[in-house]
Amino acid sequence: MNGQGEVALVLRGARLQLRVIGALIIREMHTRFGRHYMGYIWLYFEPLLLGVCIGLIHAWRDRPTAFGPFEFHAVGYILFFVFRGILNRATMAIKMNQALLYHRSVTLPDVFFARHMIEFLSCTGVMLAMLFGLFAVNGSLPESPLKMAFAMIMMALFSQGLAFLAAALTAAIEGSERLVHAVTYLLLPASGLFFLVEWLPEWLAQIALWIPMVHIFELLRDGQFGSRFRAEYDLAYVIGWIMITHLIGLAALRITRARVGLE
Amino acid sequence: MSLEMIDIHKSYPMRGGRKVILRGASGCFARGERVGILGRNGSGKSTLVRLLGGVEAPTSGRIHRNMSISWPIGMAAGFQPMLSGADNARFIARIYGRSVQPAVDFVEDFSELGDYMRMPMMTYSSGMRSRLALAVSLAIDFDCYLVDEALAVGDTRFGRAFAERIERSGLILVSHSPALVRRLCTRAAVLDQGRITFYDDIDEALATYHAL
Repeated sequence: MNGQGEVALVLRGARLQLRVIGALIIREMHTRFGRHYMGYIWLYFEPLLLGVCIGLIHAWRDRPTAFGPFEFHAVGYILFFVFRGILNRATMAIKMNQALLYHRSVTLPDVFFARHMIEFLSCTGVMLAMLFGLFAVNGSLPESPLKMAFAMIMMALFSQGLAFLAAALTAAIEGSERLVHAVTYLLLPASGLFFLVEWLPEWLAQIALWIPMVHIFELLRDGQFGSRFRAEYDLAYVIGWIMITHLIGLAALRITRARVGLE
Repeated sequence: MSLEMIDIHKSYPMRGGRKVILRGASGCFARGERVGILGRNGSGKSTLVRLLGGVEAPTSGRIHRNMSISWPIGMAAGFQPMLSGADNARFIARIYGRSVQPAVDFVEDFSELGDYMRMPMMTYSSGMRSRLALAVSLAIDFDCYLVDEALAVGDTRFGRAFAERIERSGLILVSHSPALVRRLCTRAAVLDQGRITFYDDIDEALATYHAL
């Protein structure tokens, strides 16, 4: 086959996959939120409510720092919600959608891409609402929205790799979804949501920087108020994690696909 | 345009070895052809349908698809019970790249579901579900319909309309019912011991099948 033919083939495949993912997004939205526009409000409401509550709790309890505790935690929580939303839902994704595999154009990763796109877009919408709210209340603007957006993308991709792995694990070992949920809880304090690396003693900072999510949180805060602290992150390290989890995760899904019993 | 399978083997891992279902099945189905494949229970009929439909990959061998082939009709089509029949029809039309509105109009007209088209599918009876699934598959207008087992549509107005429509399109019918194969197909094959044998003469195929 000549090169041009191959390019055309790849393009056709890509178009088909985008069509399938688009259809899956619509189906998933209708299933999760019903066909009424009020239903979609919940998509925004859940992370927004949790973010505001966590922000308020910390605003009330924390000693004042250079950063308002509310904006530090409320905005940070939305980033964490990308991770939580994607990973917690991953465990049920295969079971709930496996009958779709009777349509040969639908692949397992498509099911995940569609869900992750919904999660990412809704959290980004909430993030924008939150930032606008903060601007309206006390006139504060993020220093680099681009860095914050980049942090959201990194978090979504990192969570996606883990979601592939979590889904394959749940399909292979019955009951392991409980483990996945426990891990997302336990990672909350280690994620970087509650601290800056700068605040940690040197030995602890060294340990924290092994966790990829800590780097992503540092990137978010760098975008939010970078001139007020010394951010510490290594994007190459995060991208390495993303690539390795995608590689192993997609391979695991391939094995899972061959083993998923249809009827 | 055709569907061709070349030396298909399929086995599944089992405790203490592998369960072999197909051992070297080959054959070619031309566009518009109506072929019945007869097999006893446990002969691997459903496995063959899943392989032809591309739902599962063969352990070895190749399948070339040069025409559009339906999903295995009669198996679950991935309908979401919380969504209405119309929404599910839209979804299927989208993944097969068809215009949504004409497909929904066709399904509405053909399935005779009336107001139930806008109700969640979990409120449907099993007859209504199967009518919707069959109507959606016709709305996509495949070159070849891949049908597993008897079409339980019965001698109703819908059943006759479906039979009339399917008689005009390509068909691969995998069944254990000789009567159905005789009625709907022009060529037949017998699946036995993991191998498939084609006969140009239906009577010859049926005789072989009865002798099994």
